[in-house]
Amino acid sequence: MSMIKLLAKRLAYALGLILAVLSINFALIHAAPGDPAMVIAGEMGGADQTTLDQIRKTYGLDRPLTDQYITYITRAAQGDLGQSYLYNQPVTDLILQRLPATVLLVLSALLTAIAVGTMVGVWASRRPHSVGSGAVTVLSLVGYSMPTFWTGILLVILFGKIIPIMPIAGMRDVRIYGGWWVTSLDVLHHLILPAFTLAIVYMAQYSRLSRASMLEVLSSDYIRTARAKGLAERLVIWKHALRNALMPVVTIAGLQFGNLVSGAVLVETVFSWPGLGTLAFDSILGRDYPTLLGVLFFSSVLVIVANQVTDLTYRWIDPRLRSR
Amino acid sequence: MNATALSSPTSLSDPTPGSRPAQAPGPLLEVENLSVEFDTRKGVARVLESVSFALNRGQTLGLVGESGCGKSMTALAIMRLIPNPPGRITAGQVRFEGTDLLSLSDPAMREIRGNRVSMIFQEPMTSLNPVYTVGEQIAEAVRLHQRLDRRAAHARAIEMLEQVGIPAARTRVDEYPHQFSGGMRQRVMIAMALACNPGVLIADEPTTALDVTVQAQIFDLISDLRSRTGTAVVLITHDMGAIAEMTDRVAVMYAGRIVEEGTVAEVLEHPLHPYTQGLIACAPGRRTAAHGEPLEEIPGTVPSLLERRGGCAFADRCRHVLPRCRLDLPAETQFDGGQRRVLCWLHAEGGS
Amino acid sequence: MSPSSAPSNTASGATAPAEPSSSRPGADAGAPAPMVIEVLSPSREAWSVFRKNKAAMLGLVMLAGVILAMVFGPTLYPVAPFDISGAPFTEPFVNPALPLGSDYLGRDILAGMAVGGRATLLVGLTAAAITVSIGLTVGALAGYFGGWVDEALSRLTEVFQVMPSLLFAMVLMTLFDPSLTTAIIAIGMVTWTGTARLARAEFMRLRKLEYVNAARALGAGSVRLMLREILPNAAPPLIVSATLIIGVAILFEAGLSFLGLSDPNVMSWGLMIGANRKYVLDAWWAVTFPGLAIFATVLAVSLVGDGLNDALNPKMHLR
Repeated sequence: MSMIKLLAKRLAYALGLILAVLSINFALIHAAPGDPAMVIAGEMGGADQTTLDQIRKTYGLDRPLTDQYITYITRAAQGDLGQSYLYNQPVTDLILQRLPATVLLVLSALLTAIAVGTMVGVWASRRPHSVGSGAVTVLSLVGYSMPTFWTGILLVILFGKIIPIMPIAGMRDVRIYGGWWVTSLDVLHHLILPAFTLAIVYMAQYSRLSRASMLEVLSSDYIRTARAKGLAERLVIWKHALRNALMPVVTIAGLQFGNLVSGAVLVETVFSWPGLGTLAFDSILGRDYPTLLGVLFFSSVLVIVANQVTDLTYRWIDPRLRSR
Repeated sequence: MNATALSSPTSLSDPTPGSRPAQAPGPLLEVENLSVEFDTRKGVARVLESVSFALNRGQTLGLVGESGCGKSMTALAIMRLIPNPPGRITAGQVRFEGTDLLSLSDPAMREIRGNRVSMIFQEPMTSLNPVYTVGEQIAEAVRLHQRLDRRAAHARAIEMLEQVGIPAARTRVDEYPHQFSGGMRQRVMIAMALACNPGVLIADEPTTALDVTVQAQIFDLISDLRSRTGTAVVLITHDMGAIAEMTDRVAVMYAGRIVEEGTVAEVLEHPLHPYTQGLIACAPGRRTAAHGEPLEEIPGTVPSLLERRGGCAFADRCRHVLPRCRLDLPAETQFDGGQRRVLCWLHAEGGS
Repeated sequence: MSPSSAPSNTASGATAPAEPSSSRPGADAGAPAPMVIEVLSPSREAWSVFRKNKAAMLGLVMLAGVILAMVFGPTLYPVAPFDISGAPFTEPFVNPALPLGSDYLGRDILAGMAVGGRATLLVGLTAAAITVSIGLTVGALAGYFGGWVDEALSRLTEVFQVMPSLLFAMVLMTLFDPSLTTAIIAIGMVTWTGTARLARAEFMRLRKLEYVNAARALGAGSVRLMLREILPNAAPPLIVSATLIIGVAILFEAGLSFLGLSDPNVMSWGLMIGANRKYVLDAWWAVTFPGLAIFATVLAVSLVGDGLNDALNPKMHLR
């Protein structure tokens, strides 16, 4: 199947998923106990009778459910996810403001986890029964079991009180201003701790996985062939073995994007990182349901996009999948 | 030694100029007293004991025996591909063109591997890396050993594919292993092994995993290539028919030792060692078993390589066993000035 | 002649020593020493592998300790966790009345830990049960029946998988009233997709095996086939997965209560950490100890899960 047809197919599929998520959102609004108008307005007390009536009219809450559904979907397709009465802005705008911060956090965590995890795993696979390899197993079990928010808090204590060399809150230091380069460095400086915290659980998993995968690959016949050709061990490992060993890691990593976003909510809360997670948390505190649902929806879209990218990456890595 | 884009295609028999040293006198490959041990959970297994044989230029030597007798291990030892824990070469020399391969440094040995001495393996389905094209895998060897650039190496890969009989080589060179059948993959392996014009090709059971019809094709291919390039071949197999057709000399292995060696005609017509006799009698189609009668078999199984009792390892299964056989390892008896050997008390001078 | 005698596999619980090969005296070459092989039932065998795994046994011991502490803790240390027991911000190991110190309100940390475990464990186990039930049912049906059933269920799984689990749970806890029951259901509803995927793969694989066809030829219906033939063989990876899901559920509950989304009247370790979040730099003990408890519990569960994995799904190391 040609690349265009493939992409088109995937796009259609993704849109189908997005529609399904929207439908669930819709169902949630109406399945929740209480008046949907209240849900849409949020319960922060700014909803007086006039506002509620207005909402009822705008969203057609007196009309049959199917009509409402269609209205809801149509609005969403145009980018209208409702209005946040807490922040007095359209939900979509709010989310788009915060989206980049979360994407930055999640992507850096993911890439760090894959890079570090794979390196450690490959290193451990070269010395299968050594102390180092055992240490990797122990450390990865420990890393896997630590609650993300707790790790974050410990790091806050460490760098807040004991070794204050890194910022523990926020994304920017307001005292620093300058050109693009200076700003970026500042953001990066603030990114280190949250990204690392988020990445820990996944580093743990990927190092175990890549070690096991590497061990299996290293005992396969084509590695023996590569050695029989006279290739240096370095080439055998990094060119021939690694690409095959990486495939399970990519698969798992792709499937975990949703978990990463979930973890980001906790990490953002701990480090006051101004992303979708803190937005979600604040909207819960403020009973701002449209925003909350908007965040759920948008993060689902993120995951859908990530899944498609993973699928394409996977096809690129493994030629055997390309003829489909 | 840099060869850039070649204006005239090099055929198989023309080595890249300057890459082959002056030919040393004597046999091309000489294995002497090679012994290999393996650490297992239950103890140390002696998988090869004092294996010796010689291979001359252009010759084909067959190495035959049951599973586990050490034939593959011999090949891996020659290539120094034995995984170092848990295995190790404990004694012996492997002289290739006069140089002992076992004493070479790792980089020096890597120069030899895949270049002057090549090996192909038994399972073509899994012996090629699934994520690289066959052309890339062949070209890799050529680039490494012959220092060709990418274009020249790619051209050489196409040429090799043609030589091994893969149709539409120009297109197929950029395809992946999963797009080839088992027989085709084995051809690719052969192409890869011969790409640098090695002096010796070791073929470890190249057809065992293939269909019968394909087996014949692969053997034909090897024969054909061999006669065109003059490559010496060590053919490891348990197929006596292949031995009869393809080899000049044959060595029979049992429990890690060579128990008989000689020209193919002599060994097949007049086998000296009882094990060899049994092997030949077992092969279906031989005159010994009349049609409709049960096939001959050698009773018992190969003894464990962990505990070596004294005496001949075949003693428990031998129909001509003597009391002496269980006590002392037979001395090697040689005939024809060393051209014919057997490890058996029945043929020892002065043996009863 | 030295025949190797292979013992027959007894699937029931009996242990049957194999006949030793005959030993011959003297200088006979080639006869191996007599071997007695004990054949155990699969579950006994798995247990013996598990027992030898030191890490797994450690996990089991830790888990037992945690459970004992949870059951008997509040009785042995009968301090109400929500009560003001002393001065706020008391450091740990200083005041014997507040062994682990107090939090920003003056509540006893040790009391909180003693009682908090119950909610954690209750929610963790129950939610895990729901997760596995939903996931197993969906996956089994999809894997076994294939066709449009598989398509429909797989799409459903994917829709749920796409929504980030914590966010989804947060929405559920916000829209519906935040009780422990809601938390349990919410966690169950958002984490079942992994189990479903695993169950589907297993059932698909096993459905194609010969013995299933044989049973079907004998007239077994679908449900019976799924329950009696396939499920027991799909059990090992599912058991391992279920164990690890318990850890996930515990972490999930901790996260929800950390964010203040769970029942505020039920003490839990996550709640303690969340409540004291603003004061971490002043009262490190108020967040460190509860977190340690969560960590230890999840670690214990992970160790056990790992041990089960090694015991139930042995990988043969051939080369």
